[in-house]
Amino acid sequence: MAISFKPIRPLLQTGTSPWSRWFSYIGLALGVLLLLCCVQMYVNMQKLTKEANIRKNGYDYVAVTKNVSGETTSRPEQNMFSQQDIDEIKGQSFIEDVAPVIANQFRVQLSAGELLPFQTEFFIESLKNDFLDTIPPSFSWQEGQEILPIIFSTDFFEIYNVVFAPGQSLPQFSRKNAAGIRFLVTCFGNGQQQNFVAQIVAFSDRVNSVLVPESFLTWANTTFGSQKPFAVSRIFIKTKDANNPDLIRYLDTKGYSINKEKTILGRNKMLIQNVLSGLGIFGLVVVILALMLFSFYLQLIIARSKDNLSLLLTLGYSPRWLSRNVSNRFLPVYISIVVIALGLTQFAQWAFHHFVMHDKPELSPFIHWSILVAALLLIILSLVTNYRLVRKQLYKLN
Amino acid sequence: MQLAIHQLLPTYFEESSTLTSEIWGRELHFNSNEFIKIVAPSGSGKSSLINFMYGMRKDYTGSISYSGKNINQFTLEELARYRRDHISIVFQDLKLFADQTVQHNLEIKRQLNPYHPAEKIKEMAERLGVADRLSYKCGVCSYGEQQRIAIIRSLLQPFEILLLDEPFSHLDNDNSEKAMQLMLEESRARGATVIFADLERSEIFPFTRLYHL
Repeated sequence: MAISFKPIRPLLQTGTSPWSRWFSYIGLALGVLLLLCCVQMYVNMQKLTKEANIRKNGYDYVAVTKNVSGETTSRPEQNMFSQQDIDEIKGQSFIEDVAPVIANQFRVQLSAGELLPFQTEFFIESLKNDFLDTIPPSFSWQEGQEILPIIFSTDFFEIYNVVFAPGQSLPQFSRKNAAGIRFLVTCFGNGQQQNFVAQIVAFSDRVNSVLVPESFLTWANTTFGSQKPFAVSRIFIKTKDANNPDLIRYLDTKGYSINKEKTILGRNKMLIQNVLSGLGIFGLVVVILALMLFSFYLQLIIARSKDNLSLLLTLGYSPRWLSRNVSNRFLPVYISIVVIALGLTQFAQWAFHHFVMHDKPELSPFIHWSILVAALLLIILSLVTNYRLVRKQLYKLN
Repeated sequence: MQLAIHQLLPTYFEESSTLTSEIWGRELHFNSNEFIKIVAPSGSGKSSLINFMYGMRKDYTGSISYSGKNINQFTLEELARYRRDHISIVFQDLKLFADQTVQHNLEIKRQLNPYHPAEKIKEMAERLGVADRLSYKCGVCSYGEQQRIAIIRSLLQPFEILLLDEPFSHLDNDNSEKAMQLMLEESRARGATVIFADLERSEIFPFTRLYHL
């Protein structure tokens, strides 16, 4: 038959003043509430920032350049990425891959025949296919091919249609029409000149440039180019989260520039994370202080009941059984405190979802499962610390 | 079961104590169903010996073994089991919970390893004349009543050894005889060894061996 703790309970003298006990209960409740709310807000923020990114294949692709400053204006080579820079960036754990944007190293001229009476000095670039958002099958080039497929920036196209064409009395085009226009691209260099018929095969939201197949630019740079040493002014990085605070911190430290819009959430996230971490640590400190206060209270009970506990051990009560039961005596209190804190956290989450986020579907009105795990861990932590403390005190009595 | 003492001597006693004592410094074995009487004047170490055998004090040289195991090497849990299942005691200073009722005091011990049902408490209390005190706090009972309560408490658990440290010091002959009778019945029912330490040779304890400390 199991031994009952009921006859033993009156032997524990809790003292006449319940203040210290209630202070520790309230402190524990506040600390637990603060801690759980911080964890929940942290989870909310992770969800919100993740949903705010347009992600393809689960990755973000971001263009990175070096900050151009007054000092580097006269020394353009300082604004370029060397192979060493690229290797270093590639080595970072939060960066999956890096691709340089290769520019033309020769003179390029663009004209559009009779439809659009203009002729301009131009530029073309190429980027690894993996980094492109749209790659039609026709986006390829082989030596001897006259047709040159082009991927055109959506932003450039919009600027042409909205700003440039009306100002110059040029016709505006739909995307479909634009794809039908044949441009003439002329490459000059090394005493040679060659014409190609360029055709827009796709538009890119991601890359602000005029992109040609890598194979073409490699060939053209060799044929017409000046064979300058490797240097690029812009690279693309592939990362799991463009808002990763580690990534932003790294880019800031290196003085690299990145599309601010893409990382604004990340920068806010970093700030909120710091605030939440601070609050979380504060909550943890309050929990620890409350547990300490509670342990003093337990020690006081044990000191006051020393004679009775000592006699129980003398009569043959097991120190392990006594420790377990004395510490478990407060289990209902702990569970009540944590359940109340959980309830309040749930209410706070619902209020945040409803009143602040206006029932945004990305966010759940219910607390995350990790909050329940944290609550359970807190109960286990308090029980284990109490058990160890009581056992230590009882072993001293024996 | 066998309780044995080997060359036992309190650390605060002179070595010369072994010359006159029949216990200190000797080799003794106590077996089941034996009634051992230990007679000694005040200050000769009766309570020390009883406390040593109960595992409450360790300030001695030599050793005490229970079923071949040195009780000094028991862990705290083993010691608790030893006291709960194998050895019972009536302390000279009784060691009752003064603020608790007699019934509560007895139930605390009984529930630890119930040898008797709860009703047996009342029956024993009636036999020893303390039934009307069951609902009183121990602290308000006379010393003689407390002594009888401590005796009843010692009989509520299973035991192979019963240690008695001047259990009748505050009892009259009639009450002593009743208490002795009850203890003998309970001990015989368990086939236990009774070790009775007292100031003088008393005829009410039918000892099988007598030692002078």
